[in-house]
Order: sequence, then C-alpha cells, then structure tokens
Amino acid sequence: MSTQYKINKLDTSGVGPLVDRHWRELREAKEKGMKIAWCAGPMFVYAYATPNIASHFMAGYAAYCGGRGMADEVLEAAERYGELRDTCSYHRLHTGMAAMIMNDWPVSNPQVLLPMPDLLIGGRFCTEMSHYMEAIHRRFGVKAVTIEIPSARSREDLPRLEKFLTNQVKETLIPAIEEVSGSKFDEENMRSILRPWKETCIIRNKCWEFFKKKPSPWTLWDYGVSIAPVFYAMGKPESLEYYNNLLKQLEERTEKNIPAVHPDGEKYRLYWDGWLPWSFLGKFIRMMIPYGAIPIAGRYPWEFFPHPEDINTEADDIIHEWIRLIYTSPNTLSYHDGPWGGQEHIEDLIQTYSIDGMLFFSSKTCRMWNLGQQEIIANIEKKYGIPGIVIDGDMIDSTMVSEDQIRTRIEALLETIDARRR
Amino acid sequence: MEKVLSKIAEVTSDPYGYVAGLKERKNKKIIGCFPMHVPEEIVHAAGLIPVVIWRGNEPVTWGHAHVPPYDCGITRSFVDDAVRGKLSFMDGFVFHIRQCLQAGEFPFIMERHFKPAYQKILYLPAIYPGDATRDFALKELESFKTSLEDFTGNMISDDSLKKSIEIYNKNRSLMERVYEIRRAKPEILKAKEVMQIVWSGMLMPKEDHNELLAELISGMEEKSITPQKERIKVILVGCLCQTLQFDILDLIEDLGMIVPDDDLYIGSRYFANPVNLNGNPMKALADRYLTKSPLCPTKGVWDIHWGDEAIKRMRDNDAKGIISVRVKYCPPHTCYYPDFRSKMAEEGVTEVMIEMEHEIISLEGVKTRLQSFAETIGGV
Repeated sequence: MSTQYKINKLDTSGVGPLVDRHWRELREAKEKGMKIAWCAGPMFVYAYATPNIASHFMAGYAAYCGGRGMADEVLEAAERYGELRDTCSYHRLHTGMAAMIMNDWPVSNPQVLLPMPDLLIGGRFCTEMSHYMEAIHRRFGVKAVTIEIPSARSREDLPRLEKFLTNQVKETLIPAIEEVSGSKFDEENMRSILRPWKETCIIRNKCWEFFKKKPSPWTLWDYGVSIAPVFYAMGKPESLEYYNNLLKQLEERTEKNIPAVHPDGEKYRLYWDGWLPWSFLGKFIRMMIPYGAIPIAGRYPWEFFPHPEDINTEADDIIHEWIRLIYTSPNTLSYHDGPWGGQEHIEDLIQTYSIDGMLFFSSKTCRMWNLGQQEIIANIEKKYGIPGIVIDGDMIDSTMVSEDQIRTRIEALLETIDARRR
Repeated sequence: MEKVLSKIAEVTSDPYGYVAGLKERKNKKIIGCFPMHVPEEIVHAAGLIPVVIWRGNEPVTWGHAHVPPYDCGITRSFVDDAVRGKLSFMDGFVFHIRQCLQAGEFPFIMERHFKPAYQKILYLPAIYPGDATRDFALKELESFKTSLEDFTGNMISDDSLKKSIEIYNKNRSLMERVYEIRRAKPEILKAKEVMQIVWSGMLMPKEDHNELLAELISGMEEKSITPQKERIKVILVGCLCQTLQFDILDLIEDLGMIVPDDDLYIGSRYFANPVNLNGNPMKALADRYLTKSPLCPTKGVWDIHWGDEAIKRMRDNDAKGIISVRVKYCPPHTCYYPDFRSKMAEEGVTEVMIEMEHEIISLEGVKTRLQSFAETIGGV
C-alpha cells in the first residue's frame, strides 16, 4: 500500500435537511389533522398520493435510524418487548418503536418516534415484510391492509403476477385508503406527483451513468445517500434541484478529471450486492479506501425501487401503471430481485461498469437479497473470471457486524484481484 | 401394532433408501414436494409419487458453499443433500416459494447442481382478503396441474383427481383416528412414534400408509393402557417444515410429561382439513389451502390468533402447559412468536420455548429448560 488513498466525497449535504424535514413533517402530521400510514414495500405510493395521509415506508425509516446512529436503542426496545434476535432488523425496529410509543418507555432520542399509524399497508414483497404489519395489528389493533407482491422467478410469470397485484390493489388497498382518508382516491393527484418525480429520476439516471467513467467521480455510497431525496421529496422541486446539483458536480469532476479517490482514482472497482448497510456506511468504506477500492455499482440501490422514468404518467389507469413498473417494465424490480434475474442483471453491471471484483453483502436477518448469492458468485466467476466474496452482517443491527472478519475478507478479495492481474 | 410401528420406524430411519427403493418397486417417478403447502393430490393424480422433502440425517458440509449458515435447518440440510447427490433418485421437485424467503432459492440451486427432469415453482399467495387471492391461488394450482400433465404426457381428469383426493382424505381421517385414540390413551404411543407415523405418511404412497394405519388403529383400539404413574399432559406447538429431534421428544417424556396432542407440522397440522369432494376438485384444493385454521404463520393470517388455537387445544386435552418448538432461523415462526408468548401470558398459560437447530443442540440446555417447565406445571 505505497499509495496513500483518500476518499473525495461528493457534496451530498443537501440530503440532510430534506431527510429531517420529511420526518419532522410526519411527526407533526397528526397534529395537523392528517392520517398516518406506515407502509412496507412499493405500494406506499398510493398512500403518499393521498393528500390527507402522511406516509412512512419501512426501509426509509430503517435507513434514517441507521444512518443517524439511532437504531440500537430501538432494537433494544424490541428485544425488551420480546422480539428475537434473528428476526428481520427492520421488523424489530418498527415493533420496537411501536412498543416504545405505546408503553411510554423513555427514549434518549425522541426523533426515533413517529406517530402511531391509522393504517398499515403491508406490501408482502419480501415474504417477511408483512410480519411486522401483522404484529402491530395484533398488538395495538391498528387497521391493516396486506397485499401479496410475488417476486417473479421467470420473465414469463411477470404478466400474470402484475395482473394479480393490480386486482388486489384495486380490490382492497384503494378502498382501505379511501376509508381512512374519507375521500375518493385521487388519480390526478398521483399523476401530479409522478410527473416531477419522473423528471427527477431521469436526472438521477444521468448521474448513475457516471459510474462508467474511469476513474469514477463518485462512489456507490454517494449515490446511496442520494436516494433519500427521491423518497423524502417525492414529486417536489427540491428533489429535482438536488439531482441537478449532483449532476453538475459530476460533470465538473469529469471535466477536471477529479476522481472519487485521491490521488489518482480507484485501483479496484467493486460491485456491491445486497442492502446498503445504513448504520455502517462509513465503517465499510473505510475498510476499502486505504486500498484504493470503492463500490461502483450495485443491484439493490439501482433496482430496489421501481424506476419512475419508465412510467407513462398520462396512462388512463395510473394505478395499474405503477404496478407495471414492478413487473413488465424494462427495469423489472420483481424479476431482478430474484436469483435468475439478479444474475442477469449483475452480469450486465459488471461488464458495463468495468468491475474488478464483487462484494456480496449478506444480511443475517434479512434474506431478501441473499438468495442464491453464493451460486451467483460461482457462476459469474466461472464465466467472467471476476472474483467475489460474501460478507455478512446486517443493515442496522450493530450486534451482527464483525468488523475484523469483514476486513479480512475484503483484503482477501483484493489480493485475489491482484493475483489475477499478474 | 408393534409390527406396524416397526415398519414405520424402518421407513423413517432411512428415508433415502426407502424412497429410492419405492421408485424401483412401484416403477413410478418420484416428485419431492418441499413442505408445507404443496397439494400432493395433484402429483398423485398425475401417476407420480409425491414425497415430502425431509431434513437430512447428517451434518451440513458441502451445503455451506451454497447457502448461508443462518438459513434454517431443513434449507441447509436439503441443499446439502442435493449437492452431494443424495437425492439422485428424485425425478422432480415442487417449491412453493411464497412460503418463506429461503424456499425461494432452491429452484436456482437445483437447476445448477441437480438439473431435475421436472421442477415447478408455485406462488401460492398469503391468505389475504379478497377475491383476487382466491382466483390467483386457483390459477396457480391449475398451472401446477398443467405442468404435471406436460411432464407426464397424461391429462389429469377431474375423476382421477377426485380419486386421489379420496385416498388422501382417507389418510387424513385415519390419522385423525390415531390422534383421537392417543388423546384418550396418551400412553399408547410415544411422542417419537407419533412423529414417525406422520412422517412415514409423507414418504410412503398414501395407499400403503392407509393400510398400515388401519392395522395400527385396530391394534390401538384393542390395547388397554394402565398408566403406571400420573404424567403431566403438555401440547407441542410449532416446528414448521421439519422433524423435531427424537431425543427431545424422549426427553419430554423422561421428565414425566406426556403429549396427548400437538400443533406441529409433522403432526396434526399435516392432516388437518379434508378436501371437499363435492364439486370442482381444483377449487376444493384451493379452498383447503386457503383455510386459515390451523393457523400457519407463513400464510399471513392476522384475523385469528395462533395462541388462541394452541390454548384451545391445550384445554381440550386437559393439558397443563405448552412447549413451543422453534426452528432456529425460521422467520415466520420467529416473527410470530412474541405475540404467541404474550397470548400465553395474558391467558395465564405456562409455556416454554425451545429452539432447535439441524446439527447440534445442547440437550443439556434443553433439558434444564424443560425440567424447570415441568416443575412449574406440577410435574417431576
């Protein structure tokens, strides 16, 4: 390690205020007479598009708590309530928060508390995702509506799964939202959110293209923290402003040949699979940077959310149009999250973004992205000669992350890449 | 009765050898159905032999190169068996991948290492309210039926399906009778034997199993039992998808408890709810899948409580407590368990949870927990 590598992060400071505002508004919503919906999975958009409902979504809250270092206290509350450690940490985070609120347990950081919901929208995308909705319904009697969102294991299955989800949403979810909000679901309002959102995501995609540059002007972590404005300022001008600013920075860096890693760019371009470890982003990148290694592209941060740029905001059936994004649109989330589609997608990413090695982050409590990871590594290594490793931990639960073990594995991966280069 | 139990023990002591031999003897193809909700009747009606996939009999070795160590026992054990070639006698597999996440990766691993002649992925939905769920479940089963017809080249008529359902319903009623006698005379069978009886039915053709059960029931009805000492009745709950270590069942009895009934998958859950033979058989199979009780935490049912069902079973059997058996890394059970336990506390029911893994269990630790539980409910 003769070269002293240093990270040169993009300016993503615009994210913090947007995040804070989002959660503050949610905390204050009840006082303003709004209804609250807690949502899991991509069906949250229907609640979001309802003017008098303020919505939360599961992964966003987990990223917020994890990113701000507030998760441990809530996870401890969950354990106190009786949750078991090998339960999904996002699940525990929510049941822990609900237990803190309903039992009036002392809290050192009040920002972790949200208002209890009037409606739970359990999108069962991951089969474990809806359990926390069911649990909160059982424990506290909150109205729940649960929707099955099967992930497709082949492209042939996509149309019928899309039809199934559409039927469920129209049959049970929309009426539940209408009942809670007291008004008819406003499709035009949904369009008015999706139009600027689409515009934002088109700019976001332009930013993503900069991962093709060598050296790369940014890392996957810069992109990861920038996910927040897509959700927290959905359909609002601040979101577009944030991405325009990001794009400008990337263009400037490229023009001036300023890399994400000082002094002269990355030595290793790594693919990152699985969740982003929200509580440990700094910890993980600090294990890579001294070697000149950075995460460049990843399946989850790209795929985990339907791509609004593929949406026809003027479609007659806007309710179905959203569901189309999950299934039959080009960036099919439903297929790419499974092992077959995942492998196809990863193959594409490693070629497009000149990847040297692969890090597969395997969560000990959430198996959604773990499926087939070891097989995929073997398949890709055989086909392209690109090595990969599994590192295990958790997105937010610090008791599940062993730093030394992860560091050793990363070092082994980089040594393998070196050996193959020779 | 002893002869039947001995035959059953033979089947379950070496399921690999038994099923491989079965294929030879019956000259039929074997289809492995991953537990818990595959409607085996459709496989049977296709002229194939459905067997329920089991947790293996060896520690996981090669399998750890394919699945993480924090997957449940049957997941790791099944993958280990598959990649080691221990299941080469299987002609195909059916995986219901919406049951839990771990089931979702089997088909991918199988394709790469096993390349079965037949493989079907089922997306049976969680039982959520609405017609969409029912319609989709029915279509899934119809697509399953079509895939088997394509595989065998034979059409599955309603009549042949009804015949298969009749055989399966007969099995369910015979198993129910075994449990009925056991409830009346709990000492008549050891808990281990009961599990072996249910498990053998998952491995044997149901016709053969029915014959054994008829003989067993006759023996059970004739046998009179005079308990040597008063034992404390307990109900076992949980242990989804897989067998429980027999040592644990023996331990429960060694500690002065007795199991008159259970809510285990390899137990009463497997044969609950006969299929309605009136009308369309495919709809009837869908209806059975969509039945909420006995509550299964993999099915997303939230308007009835698993705890209530378990407590009713306990009270119906005049039992004194409940032993929850949780498979380590079984997310559906793990997520539900805190509410189950709360219900027990609310209702003043004494309950203990034991956690089991595939390879190693600390029997001493389990013994301590069970001993303390037995003392609490008035035994030992």
